[in-house]
Amino acid sequence: MTLERRDGRLYYYRSVRDGERVRKVYVGAGEFARICSETDVLQRTSRRAQRERERAELERLEGLVALVEEFSEAAQVLVTAHLVAGGYRKHKGEWRRARSV
Amino acid sequence: MSEDARGRLTELKVLSEKAGAGDKEARKELRRLVRASSPEVIAEASGIARRAEWMLVKIISAGEPLMEEALEERMQQMRSQIAGEDPTPLEVLLTERVVAGWLLVEVLEGLIAAQYQRDIKAHRVAPTYVIQQSRIVESATRRYLAAIRELVRVRKLQAGAPVQVNTQVNVLRG
Repeated sequence: MTLERRDGRLYYYRSVRDGERVRKVYVGAGEFARICSETDVLQRTSRRAQRERERAELERLEGLVALVEEFSEAAQVLVTAHLVAGGYRKHKGEWRRARSV
Repeated sequence: MSEDARGRLTELKVLSEKAGAGDKEARKELRRLVRASSPEVIAEASGIARRAEWMLVKIISAGEPLMEEALEERMQQMRSQIAGEDPTPLEVLLTERVVAGWLLVEVLEGLIAAQYQRDIKAHRVAPTYVIQQSRIVESATRRYLAAIRELVRVRKLQAGAPVQVNTQVNVLRG
């Protein structure tokens, strides 16, 4: 996005991705160019802030999950240890009594 | 979790794998270790669960004492209903895992629903964000269901019954 001044007049262009290339697309001139440029800056800032909020929210959710997960994994290790010690073995995802214990 | 408890868990895991593969010495050692360290590790793991639950309750109740109390009561009811009469320490632990899993799913769904109410009207939710959120909830739900299955399995094994566990989830449209 560029706001260019030529011969004392403002021109505004937006950058548009077209496959591998980025094209410069003319938007407008004069006061209209200035308004479009400011609107784009505002929208970009707002989008960036929103992305930041989303990232923080995802981190928060993952933090909540992590604590329960830590407990859950510990419980799983204990259960497996108890069952194996008790003479069971896992076969194709199913617990079975081991033959030679 | 303390370094000591972590170390014991690692030791239990390694020995379980060896014993599961047929190592008799490892099984003997595992039995000894299970007897020696289980109560302590179970207590520590339960402590983590309680901390996690406390944090989740605080979030979902948003400072409302009545809501907080209602949730605590609900969880207590769940614990006694799921664990049943005279549960073994392992059943208590697995019950706690089910309760914590349930609460986590509730909290995640609640937080996400509240956020949608705020943001969707303003057309501010990015699709990638929605996908990531859904993955988090989906994985928490999967773990919750796995916790239920594991409790059922352990119960059946302890009762000496053959084990086959099917989980069915009915989703009702509200």
